[in-house]
Amino acid sequence: MNPEVLVLATSVVLLAIGVAGALIRRNPIAVLMSIELMLNGANLLLVLGARVRGNVDGQSAALIVLVLAAAEAVIGLGIALALFRDRDRVDIDEPAEVRG
Amino acid sequence: MSGILIWAWLFTLPGLLMSALGVGKRPGAASQGGPPVMFVLALVALATGAHGDFRVEGWLPFLPDGAFHLRVDALSALMLAVVGAVSTCVYIYSLGYIPDQVGHSAGYSDEESEVAQRRFFCYLDFFVASMALLVLAGNLAVLLVGWTCVGISSFLLITFLNKKAGTLSAGLQALAANAIGDATLLVALVLVPMGCGDLTTLGTAPCIAGVGGAPLLALLIFIAAAAKSAQGPLYFWLPSAMAGPTPVSALIHAATMVAAGVYLMARTHGLLAAAPSVGQATAVIGILTALGGGILSLQQTNFKRSLAYSTVSQLGYMFAGIGFGAPFAAMFHLVTHASFKALLFLTAGVVIHALHGREKLSDMGGLRKELPGAYAAFLIGSLALIGLPLTSGSFSKDLILEAAQGHDFMPPLLWLGLFAGVFLTGMYSGRLFFGVFHGPRRFLGELHKPSGELLWPLVPLAIGALVLGYLEWPVPVLSRLLGETVGEAEAVHFPSVMGLAAGALGLAGFGLMAWRTEPAIQPAAVAARADDHGEAEHFEEPLEPNVGWSDWAAERSYGLAGALAGIQTGQLSRYILVSVLGVAAILLLTLAGSSVSVSQTFMGPR
Repeated sequence: MNPEVLVLATSVVLLAIGVAGALIRRNPIAVLMSIELMLNGANLLLVLGARVRGNVDGQSAALIVLVLAAAEAVIGLGIALALFRDRDRVDIDEPAEVRG
Repeated sequence: MSGILIWAWLFTLPGLLMSALGVGKRPGAASQGGPPVMFVLALVALATGAHGDFRVEGWLPFLPDGAFHLRVDALSALMLAVVGAVSTCVYIYSLGYIPDQVGHSAGYSDEESEVAQRRFFCYLDFFVASMALLVLAGNLAVLLVGWTCVGISSFLLITFLNKKAGTLSAGLQALAANAIGDATLLVALVLVPMGCGDLTTLGTAPCIAGVGGAPLLALLIFIAAAAKSAQGPLYFWLPSAMAGPTPVSALIHAATMVAAGVYLMARTHGLLAAAPSVGQATAVIGILTALGGGILSLQQTNFKRSLAYSTVSQLGYMFAGIGFGAPFAAMFHLVTHASFKALLFLTAGVVIHALHGREKLSDMGGLRKELPGAYAAFLIGSLALIGLPLTSGSFSKDLILEAAQGHDFMPPLLWLGLFAGVFLTGMYSGRLFFGVFHGPRRFLGELHKPSGELLWPLVPLAIGALVLGYLEWPVPVLSRLLGETVGEAEAVHFPSVMGLAAGALGLAGFGLMAWRTEPAIQPAAVAARADDHGEAEHFEEPLEPNVGWSDWAAERSYGLAGALAGIQTGQLSRYILVSVLGVAAILLLTLAGSSVSVSQTFMGPR
């Protein structure tokens, strides 16, 4: 099998798992992990594109995504921690009460 | 001279700073200098025919004409003279009027009271500066700045007595109506082609070549002017604006700011000539507003609100004059109206002050002997308003009526509406005059005698109400000074059949109200009113909300917003689902629309 198709398939599967996890899981940590999965799926695709086309555009874009993902994880984990301190049972939909 | 006058919008800045920083022992004394200087310099510029331009290119480079362009000519000098004269009187009047408004009985401590008084004069200075910028503006960009600033200062002054119920909603109504005007002016500013935007040349061929042409541009400017001048359906905010202190009603909501719409229409009369359909619409709306304002004025129970509808009606006359192609007549009526309407409002303030803040007409009556100065001033103002021959109002209104008679685009019945409006003017003036000063006394408590600061400013305004008409008759001075800035001016004919008939009609309406039977008053009610003056002292009564189409529109949009808010459930998983579905839909549509296969999209050409 063409190795590029294999990488492409892996990337799609990663994204699908991430979307499903973000939709189904109620635990904020699990949702954050699912989002990381989606980002990694996209990253894989970017790197693959860079490799196929023989330039570094995709790789540099993937680096930017990594940095953003790190920042996002920090904020997301901070919110999750604050939720864990505040409540006994943590559900991602529960803070809906703060909506305006 | 024009070199100094071009900076007239900075004349009140020193006063504003000094009032804000608390310089001077008496609050407001530091601000008194600006308006008289503006008045004198503007008069000199008007008399000498000074004109000049000041231009800085590239001020707002993203606009078609984003230069900072100021212009002094006869028209702006005339407006500055009006603003300077009325604000000089109102500044002096406020020295005597405002301290009582923010006194102990209104719930202010000594310190709060002084701060509030200084704040009031800062707002007034800001208003005069904005108004000067508005009339000095040479292009649409600068005009929009002044236009918005007068709206903001209007809001600040309406809501000045913020401890009084209802002032905030009144201020918000004014802000909403002004926002409509600001928005249409902004659209007009963006629509004009590159290099256009100069107010006097808006009607020339290159400037009306843009989208929609002259009719759209003229319509946008007309809507902006109508919002500022409370015309047609946009009248609703002006009666509510009476929640502000009375000097503010006199300066902003009678004499100057509400006339800015008339000024803008006169300034851009070249554009209106290029779009005759909009001119006809202006005339029709002006006539309908003149009639509607007069009818509504007759139904008011509040003194100031009745005067406000009278202002709406008179502004309707000015708009009709512009629509009939007589911008000079409209500007002339603007000048005379500024003097007698400011006089009427300041006199109303004296009466309200004397009655310890009572504004209801049912509390007034029989004040002729106690307030002789106010009585004389109100009589002069009313007679000028209804156009008694040889007073100022008769000359200017006659000019508008003659312009209406000379038109050729609508059935005669419609312009006869303007004629009928004169009768209504007489009726509502008479209703106020006889209701307030004649008949039985209704308020039996002790009157609050007006101080000199309240009475002296009435004198120049009363003189103006009597003699300003002689600027045009027997020698046409004003139209010669204004020259080309307002197009061709018709000469005033006196005595004319039209003028005398209108004057007689107005006087008939005025006299009719003298014989109106007074409603019987229960003695118990009189006694109760005499007792309660301790509570309401120095504190103007809250106005009941002004119900109109604007409230209906506000409720509907509020309900719509509530319904739309329902889709925001706050459930994260639902948000993600909608996002994913959206992305999937976009992807599918893109792929379906392209002939390139998926692998080619990702892999590119080998």
